[in-house]
Amino acid sequence: MAIITISRGSSSMGKAVAEKVAERLNYAIISREVILDASHQFNIPEIKLEKAIHDAPGILERYRHSSHSYIAYFRAALTGRMAEDNIVYHGLAGHLLLKGMPNLLKVRINADMERRIQIVMARDGLSAPEAHARILADDKERRKWTKNLYGEDPWDSSLYDLTIRIDRLSVDNATDFICQAAEAEGFRSTDKSRQKAKDLALACRIKAELADEFPNTGVTCEYGNVLIYIKGKEQASGKLTKKLNAIRESTSGIHHLETHAGTAIPPDAV
Amino acid sequence: MEPLTFEMILVMSMIGVAVFLFIVEWVRVDVVAILIMVTLPLLHLVSPKEAFMGLGSNAVVSIIAVIIIGAGLDRTGMVNKLVAPVVRIAGDTPSRITIAISLTIAMISSFMQNIGAAALFLPAVQRISKMKKIPLGQLLMPIGFSCILGGTITLVGSSPLILLNDLLTPFKLQPFGLFDVTLIGLALTASGIACFIFLGRFILPQGESTDSGETGNEPADRILADGEKNDFYELSTPADFTHYRDPLVVEDLRRRYLLNVVAMTESPDFKVLSPMPDTEIRSGIDLVVCGEKKNVERMAAAEGMRLKAALETYKDRLSAQNSGTVEVVVAPRSPFAGKRLMDINFQDRFRLTPLSVYRHEETYRAKIDDLRIQVGDVIRLHGTWKRFKALQEERGLLFSIPSDVESMRPEKALWALFWLVLALTMTMGFDVQLSVALMTGALGMVLTRVLTIDEAYQSVDWRTIFLLAGLIPLGVATEQTGAAAWIAHTVLGIIGTVSPIVLLTVIAILSTLFSLVISNVGATVLLVPLVINMAIAAHADPRMAALVVGLATSNSFVLPTHQVNALYMGPGRYRTVDFLKAGSLVSIVFIIVTIAMIALVYGV
Repeated sequence: MAIITISRGSSSMGKAVAEKVAERLNYAIISREVILDASHQFNIPEIKLEKAIHDAPGILERYRHSSHSYIAYFRAALTGRMAEDNIVYHGLAGHLLLKGMPNLLKVRINADMERRIQIVMARDGLSAPEAHARILADDKERRKWTKNLYGEDPWDSSLYDLTIRIDRLSVDNATDFICQAAEAEGFRSTDKSRQKAKDLALACRIKAELADEFPNTGVTCEYGNVLIYIKGKEQASGKLTKKLNAIRESTSGIHHLETHAGTAIPPDAV
Repeated sequence: MEPLTFEMILVMSMIGVAVFLFIVEWVRVDVVAILIMVTLPLLHLVSPKEAFMGLGSNAVVSIIAVIIIGAGLDRTGMVNKLVAPVVRIAGDTPSRITIAISLTIAMISSFMQNIGAAALFLPAVQRISKMKKIPLGQLLMPIGFSCILGGTITLVGSSPLILLNDLLTPFKLQPFGLFDVTLIGLALTASGIACFIFLGRFILPQGESTDSGETGNEPADRILADGEKNDFYELSTPADFTHYRDPLVVEDLRRRYLLNVVAMTESPDFKVLSPMPDTEIRSGIDLVVCGEKKNVERMAAAEGMRLKAALETYKDRLSAQNSGTVEVVVAPRSPFAGKRLMDINFQDRFRLTPLSVYRHEETYRAKIDDLRIQVGDVIRLHGTWKRFKALQEERGLLFSIPSDVESMRPEKALWALFWLVLALTMTMGFDVQLSVALMTGALGMVLTRVLTIDEAYQSVDWRTIFLLAGLIPLGVATEQTGAAAWIAHTVLGIIGTVSPIVLLTVIAILSTLFSLVISNVGATVLLVPLVINMAIAAHADPRMAALVVGLATSNSFVLPTHQVNALYMGPGRYRTVDFLKAGSLVSIVFIIVTIAMIALVYGV
C-alpha cells in the first residue's frame, strides 16, 4: 500500500481526483488539516503557517529563516501523519515535503487552461480574463515558492511518478491510473519502508525543534539513530548541546543522538 | 615620514588579503603564500627574482635540513629510548614526571620541529599515563606547551626564529647566533612548566586515569580506550534466520544498532575477525559485536538472535593475548588525512574494525564511513595485535602500543647523533652559516643511510616550506615600498612616545594576537619589518624588537590552533575552554618573562 501525494496547479481538479482515489482505495485523505496539526504542536498561529506554505518568502524572510522554520513545522506534522500509511495527501509540494518517504507515489495533475478558467469563473464569479489572470498569478506564486525553498520547478514532470492531464482524460480515468500504480510492487509497504517513514518523521520532528534557533543544521535518522549535521562550525555549541539534550528527553524513539560538525550535510538530510 | 604611495596601498592591500585568507581558510595557508608569491611580481611590487628568493633563502634551507635531521633522529628510535630512563629518574609523582618529560621534550624540540617532537612523544606519554595511572589530560597539555616553549631555546627550534636572520638582512642588522636566545628560551620553558606544577589543579582538567581494561589482566603496554565502554557480546542466529527477510549485512548492524561486528562465521565455516561491512549475516552462525548492552538487546529482540551469556566460540580468538582495542591518533602529514573511512577501508586493507572516531570533543559512532579523517583525530580500532603491527608499518598513525623496532634503525643512532653534533659544532665553533651547517648534517644522515634520500624528501613538510617561501617576498615588498616605515610611523603616532620596554611589550602583545589568527610564520614576516621601523623611529634597539616578534609568535597557547595543541587535543580529550584557561595564564607569563629576560640579557 502506498502514500499518494497529488500535486496540481490551481483549479486543476486535483482535489476531486484525490477524493475519488481515497474513496476507491479506502485511504485516509488529508490536506489542510496538517496546518492545524503543526499549529497545535509548535504553537504557531495558523495564519502564519498558511502564509509560509503559500507565499514565496520575501527578501527579509530569506535572511530571517522564518519561512524555513514554518516549513519545518509543517513538514514535521505532515510526516508524522504519514507514518500511518495508506494516505492520500493533496496539498502544496507534497512530493518535496515528503521527499525521502519510501513507497511514495508522486502524482501531478494538470488541466487544460480553458477548463481551469471555466472552473474559476464558475467558482469565483469572475470574467474570463480575470480568471485567467488569477490562475496565472497563482501558478506563478506556487512556482516561486517551490523554486525559492527547494530549487525545483513544480511543473517539471521528472519530479513525479505519474503526470496526468485532465482534458481528454477524465477524473475517473485519472483515478484508475493512480489506483493501479498504487498497487504496483514498488509502492508496497514493507517493514523497511515503515521504519524509514518512522525515521523520516522523527528527523523532521527534530529538525522542526531546531529550525528556529539553529537553521544551519541537517538531520538524518536511521533506526532511531539521529545525526545532527552542523554546517560550517568546528563543533557543536553549548547552546545546541543543551537543546539536543532537551529534545532527547522529550522525544520518544531516539536511540542515539550525535552531532557531526564541520562535515558536509548529506543530500538526504532533513 | 614618507607620504602614502600607490605601491604602499597595494602592499597593504596584499597584507590585508593574506590575513583575511589565513583567517577564513578558504584555501590552505601554503596556497595563499604561493598566491602572494605570484601576485607580487605581477603587480611590480618586487622583481621576479625577489618573488622566488624565499625558495632559496637560508631560512627555508635551514628548515628543510632541520626536518630531515629530525626525521633521522626519529628513524633511529633515539628519542623513544630517552623516555624510559627519564621516567625511571622521575619516579612516580605526576609533578616530577611532568617536569622530567616536559624538559626532555623541550630540549628535543629545540632542535626539531615542534610538531615532530610532539608526535614522537605522544605514544610514550600515553603509555606512561597508563602505567603510572595519571590522567592523560594532566600530562599532555603541559608537555605540549613545553614542546612549543622548547622551540624558543635555539634559533632552529621554531620557524619564526629560523626566519629571523633572513628578515634582518635587508636592514643590515647583525644576525643572531644559534644560542643567542637560549637563556630566554630556558627561562620561558621553566616558567611554563612552573605554571602547571604550581597552578595545575586550577588550570588543567581533572580527569580520571585510564582503566587497565575490563578483565584487569591486560598487558601493561596495551592501552584500551578510556571513557567508552568496550563490551563484547556473542550472539547466534537461528537456523531460519535468512528466511523471509531481506539480506542483513554487517554494515546494517552498525547503522541500525550502532554495533560493530568484530568476529563472525563466514561461508562455509570460517571464523573471521573484523569482517567486511558487506558480509551477509547467515543462518546458524555465531557473531561477536562490540557496543552498548542496550543496543545488543535491542538487536537481539528485533532480529531474532540469541544473546549468549558470555563469549564462547570466539573466547580464545578475542582474548587479550590475541586481540584488543587501540586508539590511534592521525599524525601530521598522515596519508590517511583527508580520506573518508570507507576509502581507507581498514577492514579490507588491515582487517581491523573502526569502532568510533573522536574529534574536537565529539565522539562519532554512527555513519562514520562518510567521515573525512583529519590530523589529530583519534580512531578506535579493534583487531588482532598482528594486524595492528602491520598497520603501524604504514606510518601516519600514532599508536599507544610500542612500535615494531624492526622498522627502525637503532644501529644508526650514533651516526644520527654524530651529524647533529657536527652541524652544531660547525655553526658554533667555526662560524659556518647555519643553513650550510644544517644541510651538511642532513646530507650526512643520507650518506650514512640513517634514512634514504626518498625518506628525507617524504619527511619534508612542503606546506611549511611554501608558506615561508611565499611570505618572505611580502616582507621584502613591505620594506622596499616603504609601507613598513609608513605603518610604523603611523602606529607610533597613535601610541605616542613610550619607553623601549613598553614598546617591546606592545610588540609582544601584537605578535601574540597576530599569531592566534594567522600562522606564526605569517605573523613574523609581516611584523618584523614593521617593528624594526618602529624601533628605529622610537630610538629603540631594532634587533630586540625583531627578536620579540620571533619569540612572541610562538606564544600560541590560548586556542588550539598551534599544530602541537591541535594534535594533543583529541587524545587529551581537551575542550577549547581548557586551552583558554591554561593558555591565557601561560601567555601572560610568556610575555612578562620574554620582556624581562630581554631586558636582563641584552640590557634594553
